[in-house]
Formats: sequence, C-alpha cells, structure tokens
Amino acid sequence: MSGNAMKSVPRRGFLKLVLTGMVGTLGMLLYPVARFLQPRKKGGGGALEVVAPYRVDELRPDAEGKWPSPFNFGGRPCLLVKSGDGKIRAFDAVCTHVDCTVEFRPDKKDIFCNCHNGIYDLEGRNISGPPPRPLKSLSVELRGDPGKEEIIVRPNES
Amino acid sequence: MGFLDERLGLEGARKLAAHKRVPVHRQTPFYFLGGMALFLFIIQVVTGLLLSLFYNPAEDRAFESVQMIMTEVEFGWLIRSIHSWCANLLIGILYLHLLTTFFMRAYRRPREITWVTGVLLLFAFLALGFSGYLLPWNELAFFATRVGTAIVGVVPFIGDELLNFSRAGENVTGDTLARFYALHVAILPLTVFGLLGVHLYLVQKHGMSTPEPVIEARGGEDRVPSMPFVPHFLLRDLVGWYIALAILAALAALFPWELGEKVDPFAAAPEGIKPEWYFLFMFQALKKLPSHILGIEGELVGVLFFGVSFAIVLIAPFLDRGPRSRRVLVIMACMAVVFFLVMTAWGLME
Repeated sequence: MSGNAMKSVPRRGFLKLVLTGMVGTLGMLLYPVARFLQPRKKGGGGALEVVAPYRVDELRPDAEGKWPSPFNFGGRPCLLVKSGDGKIRAFDAVCTHVDCTVEFRPDKKDIFCNCHNGIYDLEGRNISGPPPRPLKSLSVELRGDPGKEEIIVRPNES
Repeated sequence: MGFLDERLGLEGARKLAAHKRVPVHRQTPFYFLGGMALFLFIIQVVTGLLLSLFYNPAEDRAFESVQMIMTEVEFGWLIRSIHSWCANLLIGILYLHLLTTFFMRAYRRPREITWVTGVLLLFAFLALGFSGYLLPWNELAFFATRVGTAIVGVVPFIGDELLNFSRAGENVTGDTLARFYALHVAILPLTVFGLLGVHLYLVQKHGMSTPEPVIEARGGEDRVPSMPFVPHFLLRDLVGWYIALAILAALAALFPWELGEKVDPFAAAPEGIKPEWYFLFMFQALKKLPSHILGIEGELVGVLFFGVSFAIVLIAPFLDRGPRSRRVLVIMACMAVVFFLVMTAWGLME
C-alpha cells in the first residue's frame, strides 16, 4: 500500500462511520426521552401498617345504609368487611377484573363491583361475574378496649 | 390580485376548485358525512382552545377549574357543553362515515390509503374522547380511566409496561391526569392534523368515489351526472353545518353537560357506572364475558377479539380481493353492526 492510501479513508468506510455516528447520536437522544416517559418511583403498592380511620363499633352501615368507604392503604383502597359472626376481614379493594373499587353490601352479605357486576364472598373469593381471581386479603389486628378496638391492617405474610 | 397570485399561486387553487365535481346519484347524501366531521372537528378545536384558557390540569385543581368554568366564567357552561356534545356527535358521524364508505366500497383502488388514514383518524378521535373524559377529574371519569387502562394491561407480554406507561404509574393519579392532558391538547391533535392533511389531500387527488352499481347502470364513470363542488356542493354542505350548529346549541342549552362528583381515589365505584355510548359496546361485552373461557381469562379473550376486529377494519381494503372475500367482509361488517347495536342497547337498558 502506498502512503497515500493509508491516509485516505475509503468511501464505503467513511459512510459506515457517519452512519454509525448518526445511529449513536439518535440512541443518545432517545435514551433520556424513553427514560423520561417512565413513571416516577413512588408509593402506591400498599403500606406496612395502617390504622383504619374507624373503630370496630363504627364499622356498620350509616343512616342511609352505606357501609364505611374504603380507606387509603399506602396508595391503594382497603375495604373492611364484617361477617355475620362478627369477624372483621380486610381486602385490597381493587377488583381483579379491571381495577374498579369494590364495595361491601351488608344486606346481601357479599362484596360487589359496580363496574361489571362482579361478586365476591366475604372471604374474598370470586363467586360470580367476570372477576378471574379472588381479592387480595390483608391481615387484621384489633387493639384496645373490647367493642371499641382500633383496627390495624397489615399486608398478609404469605 | 396579480400581486398575491404571483406569490401564493392562487390560480392553481382556483383551478382546483373549479374542476372539483361531485357525482350525483342516490347515495350522494353520504358524501356530506366527511365534511360534517371536518366542521365538527373545527368546533372542537375552537371550543377546546377556549376551555384551555381556564382549565387547570392538576389533581387538586382540575375539578374545581371545570366547576369554575361551568359557574363563574361567562358562557363557560355553553362552551364546555358544546365541547362535550360535539365530541359525541363527531364520533357518531365518524362511525356513519366509516360504515357508508365501507358499504359503498369507496375504499377500492386507488383509495386504500384514504381508507387507512380515515380509520386511523377514527382511532385518534376515540383516543381524544377517552383522554378528554378524564380531564374534569370526576368519579365517572376516574373509574372509566381505571377500567380503560386496565384493559390495556391485559395485552399479553407487554401489558404491565403499557399499563404503567398509560397511567404514569401503578394507579390513576395526578400524573395520569397530566399525561392525559398532554395527549388530549397536544399529542393527539397534532396527530389528527397530520393524518387529516394526508386524508384530505388524497380526497382531492382521487376525487369522490362513485359506487360500482351506479357506474354500471350509467355505462361508464364519465357518464354519471355530477355537480360542481364550488358552489353547488359547498352550499349544501353549509346547510348541513347550520343544522349541526342548531342541534349542538339546542343540546348544550337544554342539556348542559354534568360535572358529577369529584374523585375520591379510595371510594368504591358508584352504582350504574357506564362509559360514553361509543365505548359502551366494548364495556358491555367485557361485563358479560365469563371469568374464564377455555381456561383463558375472559377479559383477555375480549381484548384479543376487539384487537383483531379493529385490525381487520384498518386493513379492510387489502382483504377485499375478489367476490368471495368481499362477501365474507360484508357478512362480517353486518355482524359487527348488529353486535354494536345489540351491545349498546343492552348496555343502555341495564
């Protein structure tokens, strides 16, 4: 090879180099954009421990027959239900069908979703309608004076 | 005039307008639907720009700002009601435009791309309806968005990513509102302008399509009677637009759009919750699907069914490859119309 050829870059090689550079630039431009579009890191996946905003004796239908509304359990709604034997259970109130918030119907003794008529029993099992899975249950601990205990909700160990 | 013509090329536009003709036959009224959709879209742009002067897309301000528009801003109730009603009329007209174009087979060569851009425009307008619905930040909108985005989450393999991307997180929050606002006022409108430019250019380039039976009956496309677009057809368009304006004004005045209750992110979904009528057929189908079909989750079956159906609509011109495939397409379209009507009626009655 002559010294001249050593110095000059062949045309094909030059185009390859330019193309590689352009693809690289595009990647460098798009990477921050793709990252920017990601959701922020924040809570919303539940909490470690929350004291419910009502005590055991307040857990009953109001004058209009409405059951106490679900409350904020680390960014997700938590529903408390009371079965006939007085046992209190807590569930992640997000319907397993398409994410509506379910409610407790004390008269019908079930958990109901108004969006697509999904029905769960008081153990959270999906028994009718479109929900494909049971509700996620949470663990409940009662603390304080009998009959007026505070209700403490935690994620289930399992 | 000479000054402007030299610089803007007005003569070309004048010639184009003078040459544009519209075929006259029994289906001619269907040619008005596209122009009607365009007119309603312009109303949406104007009223949308006006609303944006007072609307505030923040979790703790959105509902209040719409409330303020409805009660304090002069004629705010009118502008918002027209925007909401017009969105519904626009989607209704687009559904009709799609159907009549399909049954007249106006998508046939060389107008396939006109059809594809038209269907993409319909998808963009459905997305505009869905994103705009959340902006008042009321209970109905909150759950509609939860359900709508959860459905996206059912898509195999990338569902979770799509769900997180569309909600800007795991749950519907103020970040979702900001994302939907950007979609509704910037991203989707720009998309619509782009698609609409191509769609309208193609309509000018190819002219109006004449149905085959009309051509056959007249013994040739050039023997079908026609009228000049300017002024004959345009004046008829104008009459239609006046009527649409009157209907809109009447609807907005007699049935102002409701605002509902502000979002409580932890409360149970309210009773009798339903999406807008143009999404009702999908909502109702999801409601009636059992939880599992042949071992697959019912909602996944529904999502795949609608996904495939929409894909078929999008590429319909390329599936029409002869009398037999045409018959299959027509039968499928008729079944789709019946499905839509039955599901919508069922959803409205419940």
